[in-house]
Amino acid sequence: MNEIIIGIDLGTTNSEVAIVENGQVVVIADNNRKILPSFVGIDDQGDILVGESARNQYLVYPERTVKSIKRLMGQDIQVNLAGHAYAPQEISAIILKRLKAIAEQHVDQPVTKAVITVPAYFSDAQRQATREAGEIAGLEVVRMINEPTAAALAYGGSQVEQKRMLVYDLGGGTFDVSVVNIEAGVVEVLSSHGDNHLGGDDFDQQIIEHILDHLQETQGIDLRQHSKALARITRAAENAKLVLSDQPYAKIEEEYLLEHEGAAIHLSLELSRIDYEDMIEDYINATIDAVHIAMKGAKLTPADIDEILLVGGSTRTPCIRERLYNEFGFEPHSEVDPDLCVAMGAAIQAAMISGQEVNAVLVDVTPYTYGTSAIAYLNDEYYPFTYVPIIHKNTALPNRKTEAFVTNHDGQEVVNVTIYQGEDPDALNNIKIGEFLVEGLQDVEAGNVITLTLALDLNGMLHVSAQEKATGLEKSITIKNAISRFEHGALDTAKQRINKLFGQNETIRAVVKNEAPEIVEARKLIAKAEALFDISSDEDKEDMIDLIEDINSCIEAGLDGRLQESVAKLADIIYYLES
Amino acid sequence: MKSPYEILEVAEQATDSEIKQAYLQKVKLNPPDRDHEKFQQIHSAYESIKNVTSRENHALFNYPEADFDALLEQAFSTAQPSLISADHFDKLLRASIDDKTFLIGNPKMTTA
Repeated sequence: MNEIIIGIDLGTTNSEVAIVENGQVVVIADNNRKILPSFVGIDDQGDILVGESARNQYLVYPERTVKSIKRLMGQDIQVNLAGHAYAPQEISAIILKRLKAIAEQHVDQPVTKAVITVPAYFSDAQRQATREAGEIAGLEVVRMINEPTAAALAYGGSQVEQKRMLVYDLGGGTFDVSVVNIEAGVVEVLSSHGDNHLGGDDFDQQIIEHILDHLQETQGIDLRQHSKALARITRAAENAKLVLSDQPYAKIEEEYLLEHEGAAIHLSLELSRIDYEDMIEDYINATIDAVHIAMKGAKLTPADIDEILLVGGSTRTPCIRERLYNEFGFEPHSEVDPDLCVAMGAAIQAAMISGQEVNAVLVDVTPYTYGTSAIAYLNDEYYPFTYVPIIHKNTALPNRKTEAFVTNHDGQEVVNVTIYQGEDPDALNNIKIGEFLVEGLQDVEAGNVITLTLALDLNGMLHVSAQEKATGLEKSITIKNAISRFEHGALDTAKQRINKLFGQNETIRAVVKNEAPEIVEARKLIAKAEALFDISSDEDKEDMIDLIEDINSCIEAGLDGRLQESVAKLADIIYYLES
Repeated sequence: MKSPYEILEVAEQATDSEIKQAYLQKVKLNPPDRDHEKFQQIHSAYESIKNVTSRENHALFNYPEADFDALLEQAFSTAQPSLISADHFDKLLRASIDDKTFLIGNPKMTTA
């Protein structure tokens, strides 16, 4: 039997886990849900919540809940979760651990390896952080593949005819566009471009600002400092965005946002799709510009494109379809589920790596140019930071290139090698991603040859080495997360820390596990009801408390009939409160 | 050292599309995930002969087993650098510029 490698889409808003079983790709459901919201929280008991429950808790306890952690991956910052500071890698690890558990329950055996998708435009630091998150979660990340590529793989595996495809991937926090050629069972990425910080979250933020301005104008109150009210406004804004995907108008209503000088503040506002589309126009324009860049990178014109594949929940925004129609003259495809196809592609790639036969193989490219700086002529001037590109963008992965350089002055013993990512002829305008010294060079005249080798692996990660040609003296580094690198020990500590968080929860779950499914469901319902206490009226809250007491005593006494009755009543109240 | 034609197992007269098909077939059998080196060899073979421009470039500049030092030595020791034949020079020129740009030589387009 092949070892199991799972495919994971670790998204800004939602995450999924998939696997290839008997030649079929399956997105694994947890409690009938294939989508796990990328929310992490700590509940009253100090237990960890992941997914829907954490998302629900966000409304009541935003300070104990973290969302959209992917936006912070690769940055050297910490987020606060219930009074403790965590690195973005650790929060992502919590989500990965949950997905791992979902997969383990499905296959009924331990899972230790995964293919994780990342935005094509994710930088080296962001990729490294993702790999670290996997390690903390107890998952060896055998490969990271790009999200639009994964989607193309999920869709392209079944294609017989040659097709050129544009993959437009707009998620919660990131935007990627790739031009892909599918032919003879090979999914070949021709070019990629994107933006690491553009997504549905930005659309939400526009609506949130609009609501806050409205409240400021009508009620004279600034809610920016009220975290609970802000959390509810955020949810209301997200809902309005979803409604506007299908409807021309959305009503935004939230009662009792808070009390202000003895009076209750309510929110009631109507937002039209036209106004909403005005708010997000700049963002959409930026995505269309990126489409043009990707097309240019692939040396193709719109007429060469046979199909458009939409990926990511944010592509449900109607004006995106419209804009793409205007550019290409035909409608984007909607056969593939934009929420699930990335995880499916990851599972296909995972199956490929574990040695299973698959329909399609993948050839991906780097969206970035990597190079170094040297003293050379730039704009007719001798300039010490002239950019020397070594691996050009849209080069197929893996790739390895060597360039020769010479020392600048006699007796030069040290060269400083700086690696940049970017396109600008002035290296200082590009992003510096790493630097090192080659010391102890021969005491010779200027012109000592130093070769520099850049190797970009299949994960899109860069390995650099420099060598003094005459002596073979070598220095090499892997560009890891230069800014927030976890030392090996620190990674272990993080692993223990996260395990401990789960440990508390797992003991509780072990008890629950032996119970009948009705009782498990009842307990879940109770947790849900408790999360709603803070937003329900006193009357509803009292009713819920009574029912919870009743349910608990029924469980103890084993009164199944009455248990069902009380559970149904509680479910009704929850339904009413949530809708 | 195998030539790109040998690596892809195509004739030197093969068309663009024959070369492309041979490349895809090789990739399908040797995905980048299974054997990096093999894939890179196949891919760079394809890059060097995928169209007429790259084939001309390959024909002109590809010295088998180019040795940096030997070439440097040769350049310094040869008083008279070896001349490129007129035919080669023409090919080189054609290879380096886009076919459309080359039409500037057409009298119709050189009215100014």
